[in-house]
Amino acid sequence: MSATTPMTTSPRIKNKALRRFLRNPGTVLGSILTILLVAVALLAPVIAGDPLLQNLAERLKPPSAQHLLGTDQLGRDVWARVVHGSRISLRIGLTVTGIALVLGGLLGLLAGMLGGLVDEIAMRITDIFFAFPALILAMAIAGALGPSLVNLMIAVAAVSWPYYARLIRAQVLSLKSLDFVDASRALGASRWRQALRHVLPNAITPLLVQASFDVGGAILTAAGLGFIGFGAQPPTPEWGAVVSETRSFIIEAPWASSAPAVAILLTVLAFNLLGDGLRDVLDPRGRRRG
Amino acid sequence: MSLKRIATLVVALVISVVTAFGAAQSARQTTLVIGGDWGDLITLDPGVSYEFTSTTILDNIYERLVKFNGDDLSVVVPGLAESWEIAARDGGGTSITFHLRDADFSTGRPVKASDVVYSFQRPILIQSPSAFLFTDVVGMDLDSVVAIDDKTVRLDMPEGVNPSIVLNLLTFTTGGVMDQAEVEQHYEDGDYGQGWLNDNSAGSGPYMLERWDRSSQVVLVTNPTYRDPGPVTRVIMRHMPESNAQRTALESGEIDIAWDYTPEAFQAAEAAGVLKTYRTDTFQMSYLGMNSGPGAPFEDNRVRDAVRYAVDQQGIINSLLLGLGRPMQTIVPAGLMGADTTVYYERNVAKAKELLAEAGVPNLSVEFLISTGACGGGVPCADLAAKIQSDLAEAGITANIKQTTGGELYTIYRAQNAQLVMAAWSPDYPDPDGNATPLGSFPAGSIAWRNVWDNAEAAQLASEAATTVDLTARQALYAKLNHLVATEGPYAMLYQPSKPIVTSPKVLGFVRSAGGDVEFERISKLP
Amino acid sequence: MLSFLLRRVGSLIFVVWGVGFATFFISQVVPTDPAAAALGNNARPAQIAAYREKRGLDKPAWQQYLLYMQSLAKGDLGKSLRTQRPILNDLKDFFPATFELTLGAMLFALLFGVPAGILAAVKQDRPVDLGVRTLALIGGATPVYWLAILALLLFHSKLGWLPGPGRLDAFLLAPQRVTGILTLDALLARDWEVLYDALRHLLLPAAVLGAFSTALVARMVRSAMLEVLSQDFVRTAKAKGLPEGKVVLKHALRNAALPVLTVLGSLLGGLLTGAVLTETIFSWPGLGSYATASATALDFPAVMGVTLVAGLAYSLINLLVDVLYAVFDPRIAYS
Repeated sequence: MSATTPMTTSPRIKNKALRRFLRNPGTVLGSILTILLVAVALLAPVIAGDPLLQNLAERLKPPSAQHLLGTDQLGRDVWARVVHGSRISLRIGLTVTGIALVLGGLLGLLAGMLGGLVDEIAMRITDIFFAFPALILAMAIAGALGPSLVNLMIAVAAVSWPYYARLIRAQVLSLKSLDFVDASRALGASRWRQALRHVLPNAITPLLVQASFDVGGAILTAAGLGFIGFGAQPPTPEWGAVVSETRSFIIEAPWASSAPAVAILLTVLAFNLLGDGLRDVLDPRGRRRG
Repeated sequence: MSLKRIATLVVALVISVVTAFGAAQSARQTTLVIGGDWGDLITLDPGVSYEFTSTTILDNIYERLVKFNGDDLSVVVPGLAESWEIAARDGGGTSITFHLRDADFSTGRPVKASDVVYSFQRPILIQSPSAFLFTDVVGMDLDSVVAIDDKTVRLDMPEGVNPSIVLNLLTFTTGGVMDQAEVEQHYEDGDYGQGWLNDNSAGSGPYMLERWDRSSQVVLVTNPTYRDPGPVTRVIMRHMPESNAQRTALESGEIDIAWDYTPEAFQAAEAAGVLKTYRTDTFQMSYLGMNSGPGAPFEDNRVRDAVRYAVDQQGIINSLLLGLGRPMQTIVPAGLMGADTTVYYERNVAKAKELLAEAGVPNLSVEFLISTGACGGGVPCADLAAKIQSDLAEAGITANIKQTTGGELYTIYRAQNAQLVMAAWSPDYPDPDGNATPLGSFPAGSIAWRNVWDNAEAAQLASEAATTVDLTARQALYAKLNHLVATEGPYAMLYQPSKPIVTSPKVLGFVRSAGGDVEFERISKLP
Repeated sequence: MLSFLLRRVGSLIFVVWGVGFATFFISQVVPTDPAAAALGNNARPAQIAAYREKRGLDKPAWQQYLLYMQSLAKGDLGKSLRTQRPILNDLKDFFPATFELTLGAMLFALLFGVPAGILAAVKQDRPVDLGVRTLALIGGATPVYWLAILALLLFHSKLGWLPGPGRLDAFLLAPQRVTGILTLDALLARDWEVLYDALRHLLLPAAVLGAFSTALVARMVRSAMLEVLSQDFVRTAKAKGLPEGKVVLKHALRNAALPVLTVLGSLLGGLLTGAVLTETIFSWPGLGSYATASATALDFPAVMGVTLVAGLAYSLINLLVDVLYAVFDPRIAYS
């Protein structure tokens, strides 16, 4: 049991963790990719041109010095579209994970702390959401609300939150039974203060790991929804939508749909590697899993 | 095992393989496989059908009283009716008396006048989406069609209905004749047999429905009772929503005809010259609808003119359609009587800006409603919209694209709530009135109404032209109407697309009419 | 054990009900009129009103829900707004295709994922392990639709090894429909040509859909194997001089099977999601295509039917997994 999970981390352990983190080539690659991705997203207007600028005379041109990744069916620069798309995908990934974390976390906290009927109801609700085929639920929501970036995020968040509810609840339950919580109860701290003081900091580790995986998962799901037309409005360069709208030109211009697809792949890969690494470092028990 | 027995076995095996191969080979020659995106297929009931795919299929199953010969849409020829007479009615209006030929339904029963009466009343009773063609366009009701004897049926029209429009309209799927006795046996919860007709057929045409595997394929087989069967005994319409899939399937021989080539793929096929390519005509038109109602963004005709000047029609046709379409700027398309192919507006961004400034809206921002999927000529709607958005932006109009799923566009548009909408229109019957009234007349409650363009002169011209029988006079009226709608109407027309179709070199006799009909019985396949 | 089962079945019913209720709830926030969507471009207001009345769309939400639950109790899922058919008929048509595809994908995942995982574990940190882990990582991050497009382009268009989209060559006649699972029906009809062709059509979509699961299974098997391999009894067996292959097969694999079993249940949910996208590219007439078309047309009764079936399938599989777990692992007690 991770009863000894450090509340205060000594510098020595920190260094050890960092070393473990850096020793794993996967996590290093993941970190580099993530940093690159964030840099690309931040510097998009500097390193790429207008993703919406059309030039019909330059349609479906292969990669060249002028257009690093070629052009699409409207003569738009694929590099610019992919680079600006990273802003959208990152925003989707982070927002969705944020919403899911807060919503799921809150519900899990309530369920764990209050127990009884509240717990039962909350857990059955998560059961229901687990049983939903994620994409079909997201499709129904996006279909009902109409396609837009915001609705896309709502839809993906709706299928992501139950994991957090389960996770936090489990943490609360396991920590509730531990000595130091009892001790502080004996000292008269209120239940909710206990929750905030002890449970949350201890739950941060698995949450971070899960969140890291989820950013990638959310990006992948959102791109899938975008691909079948439930995502951003054209001509927004959302990656899934870009793969979709360029796919009928795959024989003439394979670069146009491959570039955003590879971008999705690398991004999801980055967050998965990061998640693996974080788990290794922060949660050594789980190291063997996965 | 003795050598002799082995030898016998081998011979037997070879023979069976060869004969099986031979059978398969001849099956291939009499089976026609068409790959296409049949996503619009929701019914195979001719009384309910109103979509492109079902129209193509059902016109091969259910005969109409009159039809067109191949792609010649200028004159109606006998279908189930051998002949007909048009006469004035006492007390106004006209009537058409049809004399039926001897024909049998695929069920074995003979076609009778009472079947025609039933088939014409049925869409009205069902309140089907196509019923308005009978009730609104030619003023029919349940009493309008009368069986005089087994082989004679009379259609009574109120005053002001042009009999040539009626005949044109009867070529459409809604006029398909079905076997009343058969269909009545399959009513379920008062559905007039709608459910049954989706999996069975009861027509007298060259083919009958064998099966409809939803989202997969529709299979037609020869109707054994048909008087003049074609060499193709089985037609399979395979649902292939991805145009790339159609392309590779055609190249590898998995299908014989591909329905939805993209302009790029079509151009490549034309250049390669291995497959047969057809640029078939359509009466379709892609257009921008502009809400011209009071207080709406396009109330001022100068703003509408600005849009017409701003859109790069030629660029769209050359670069996105790769020539699979022709410019059109008014409402009667090429191929129909009264067509007007005048270019009223050449692209002129400066002029557009000027007009916007005059109208006092130099920076107009509107919601731009578009649908999902492919637009006319096989161009993805999203690409077309992005191109138009950038054209309009040059003139200072911000068009915020809103791509909607399914019926949302209809819901908004139909409630007169669209600001700027990209849509397509196709007349249901090859007559200029099929466009003039819905697109010109506000009181008709169709497209002009949706764009809140209430122009009394246009409505008057449309209704006058519809009732005018004299050809020259009619043409003159359409000329006036065309000019009026082109310069003042609520539309910025985009183009009249061609439908690119590619077939295997083995397919002979393929013809697609501008109305969308393909007569499968006239197609044959080389071995 | 019996009370455990009863409790699980009870929660299964609740979950399936909840799935339906949630879908109904979503259907009530649609801003668009489903009647207008169903009737198309030229419907008249009177027709729309008549349609709404006929389908009960004009009633308040709670009444609609009660009516729905009433007919559901009779096993009637209602009529689709888009196809105008009983939804049960639609599901009967579309479910077998998805079932076949999903099963194919699952088989593919096990066939390749398990050996890859074992190999990686046995050769821990060697190039083989590194290769498997890299592939697994990539497989878990690749958008399935792009993989589908590439696979078709390569194996169908360029190389011509495998047939294109669809379930069967158009020139072949499908055998008598018994189960709707084409390969099984062909087998029952002893139609070897159809069976062969159906299998060939199945291979590519199943492999594409299974890629993600293969990655997951390989990762799971690898870590489960590593855990077991480091345990005492395996070390003892090794020390006794048993050959490594035998140790792996006899002890490690059996013990590693359980954790793998547990992920299979949740894998199915992921497969259904993947099927939505894979079916689009492969023109596969399954539940995924049906769900997409229904959601696009705002045909919520149909979406509800799909989610009910999917929820039920998911819950049943997980129940089965739990039962299997109980059977195989006597350490677990069920109170």
